[in-house]
Amino acid sequence: MASLESLTEDLLVRIYKGLASDADRKSWRLVCRDFHRIDALTRSSLRVLRVEFLRSLLANYPRLDTLDLSVCPRIDDGAVAVLLTSRGSPWAFPRAAASSLSPPGRDPLAWTRGLRKLVLSRSTGLGHHGLEQVIRACAYLESVDVSHCCGFGDREAAALSCGARLREVKMDKCLGVTDVGLAKIAVGCGRLEKVSLKWCMEIGDLGVDLLCNKCVDLKFLDLSYLKVTNDSLQSIGSLPKLEVLALVGCSLIDDTGLQFLGGGCPLLRVIDMSRCNGISSCGLVSVAKGHEGLVQLNASYSLTECSSILLRCFKDLKNLNAIKIDGARVSDSAFKALSNCTSLVEIGLGKCIGATNLGLMRLVSGCVNLRVLDLTCCHSITDAAIFAISDSCRNLTCLKLESCNMITEKSLYYLGSFCLLLEELDLTDCGGINDTGLEYLSNCLELSCLKLALCPTISDKGLGHIASKCRKICEIDLYRCNGIGDDALAALSSGCKKLRRLNLSYCSDVTDRGMEYLGQLEELWDLEMRSLFNVTGVGLMALAAGCKRLADLDMKYCENVDDSGFWALAYYARNLRQINLSHCNISNMGLCMVMSNLTRLQEAKLVHLNKVTVEGFELALRTCWVRIKKVKLLAALRFKLSSDVRETLHSRGCKIRWD
Amino acid sequence: MSSSPPPSSAAASPSCPKKMIALRSSDGETFEIEEAAALQSKTLENMIDEDCAGTPIPLPNVTGKILAKVVEFCSKHAEPGVDDESLRAWDAEFVNVEQATVFDYILAANFLEIPTLLNLTCNVVADMIRGKTPDEIRKFFNIKSIFSPEEEEEVRRENHWAFE
Repeated sequence: MASLESLTEDLLVRIYKGLASDADRKSWRLVCRDFHRIDALTRSSLRVLRVEFLRSLLANYPRLDTLDLSVCPRIDDGAVAVLLTSRGSPWAFPRAAASSLSPPGRDPLAWTRGLRKLVLSRSTGLGHHGLEQVIRACAYLESVDVSHCCGFGDREAAALSCGARLREVKMDKCLGVTDVGLAKIAVGCGRLEKVSLKWCMEIGDLGVDLLCNKCVDLKFLDLSYLKVTNDSLQSIGSLPKLEVLALVGCSLIDDTGLQFLGGGCPLLRVIDMSRCNGISSCGLVSVAKGHEGLVQLNASYSLTECSSILLRCFKDLKNLNAIKIDGARVSDSAFKALSNCTSLVEIGLGKCIGATNLGLMRLVSGCVNLRVLDLTCCHSITDAAIFAISDSCRNLTCLKLESCNMITEKSLYYLGSFCLLLEELDLTDCGGINDTGLEYLSNCLELSCLKLALCPTISDKGLGHIASKCRKICEIDLYRCNGIGDDALAALSSGCKKLRRLNLSYCSDVTDRGMEYLGQLEELWDLEMRSLFNVTGVGLMALAAGCKRLADLDMKYCENVDDSGFWALAYYARNLRQINLSHCNISNMGLCMVMSNLTRLQEAKLVHLNKVTVEGFELALRTCWVRIKKVKLLAALRFKLSSDVRETLHSRGCKIRWD
Repeated sequence: MSSSPPPSSAAASPSCPKKMIALRSSDGETFEIEEAAALQSKTLENMIDEDCAGTPIPLPNVTGKILAKVVEFCSKHAEPGVDDESLRAWDAEFVNVEQATVFDYILAANFLEIPTLLNLTCNVVADMIRGKTPDEIRKFFNIKSIFSPEEEEEVRRENHWAFE
């Protein structure tokens, strides 16, 4: 009789590949030796959590093409050196000893040849020496991400330039990189297709020019927030294959520069020029006229108004599906012009002066394919506009109505009747919303993200309606919703099992009972619960014990949580990566337990811990200095902490913010 | 029943009789299958091309019971004018059988290289595994080979701490 065990290996691989979720694949590998081997031979991507396991994982997974070390603490030159030696080093990583599950004779460095993508984002402990070693060892590497390694500079850029096969480099926030470093990368990595240099503020026109000269295959370029001028745009215009260009916050660019762009980059599809103070409609016209294939145009907070010439240009862009003109002044005739662009799927009109009911009705009469609409701070719109929007745009998936305070429950009735594909709704600060409205809204069964911050008029009843029907909810924001209490959390815990992010800050009616309910939400990983006075150690313990995946916790001002809660946190919340304990009554011992036991903690805000002494901070920081990456401390502590602690933290790449 | 649209790709014109291929199972039973349906199987397609389809094709790896069902599957999928939804529903009914039979289908589909049947049946097994704990998987599929206690501990630890 046929059984699962009678299937050949390739058939088992087929079945294994049908398991999409990480949990299922982990269950699979724990079933028996054969299944474990299938997993080892098929898994192609790993996100490593602890460095002790790294060596054996790399030895046992020969088909890895992607390695993500961004959440793995203690990645430094020493760790790299150990990984790249061909002998085992049991003294450094005890678990690397040969296990009966890994076949003997396998070359421990085989992984370097298979690796194509390496993520080292936030690996602040790594230096140029280690980086160069790993880039050289992984000869076929195509993509490397070192974003947010703020201390990285030209020496690290030189290390990256050793990767001749690199096609993708992400160096966002590598603050020390200058034109010299960029030049090295441009010369060394001629095949680059995707380069991201956001926030690398030392880079200027010279570096960009060299990059554009040497890397002619560039398809994606992000120079946001750099102090580049029109000269850079002239160089960029020469790139024949560029498809996506991001220049957010480049305040030194103006319309002259955009003209260069208008005449070049024939394949340009996506351009993001938001927050560029120097440009105007005129410059955008030259870009639009030159690129009939344009698909997305983002000019948020750059334009003071949208000229009629520009609006006419949009009509000629047959493939245009997203426009963002947040912050611009618009008129009803502008909306009429936009309504001719029937291919539009996404429109951003946040803080647009002059957005009226009439204008919007005109807009949606033409743009019936709209899926994403941002009307943040369009104060003058009312239920009538929402009716028109819901009726025309039945495929709406995302609607942002922050601060549209004339919206009432009628709008939610329309949305609940017509826009059944709605996934994301932002009703922050919409004072006209109430529980009845939420009942109407609960017909939108696809709802996954709901923002109700600053809505004092909603209560547990309204949230109960949502929780009972909208099973796909992943994110809810209830910041300062005074009417919310424990019963809302009870409803959420039974109805919204997929909840991942929750903001309960200042919902002071929540007590330990509510926390217990939250403990039943197994998927919860981001919780903000500032200033919940009625929550004590008992509540925190219930939360920590239940929400095993909790990674991000903000409990600032939760002054009534005592040490019993923090001990429980230290014991249970092993996946915690970021924590804000400012103004909490944690003791020396409690802080030490938390900082030492939570081995995945990377970021901690520890301001105004009144019960913790200087010695307490010293001890706590010493226990975690090998892995903590960002810490916020009271400014007064600056001169009281020993130089030992401060220097070690600095040398490990940890960023200290003094409040 | 609504009338089905005319076949878009005719395996044979209405005037000629449809060509039948004979198959013999491992236990000696003979089955007849239309050529159009047989072409769903790459193995049979190769044999037809090489013109060995004169005498009944012996299939030593497939029993009569299973072969009958495979012929039924291929015939249904070769039928013209069936809409996607009803085909999906039919497929769901087809695999609504006991575990051992599903594995027999997989082995037969693999041997005969029938991609549609192979995908369908492998997905069914993946569905059976989804959401179960390792223990439940072992019980459900009656898996005998296991880990030593040390090995299991190591894998468990890796699952919990090492990666995601």
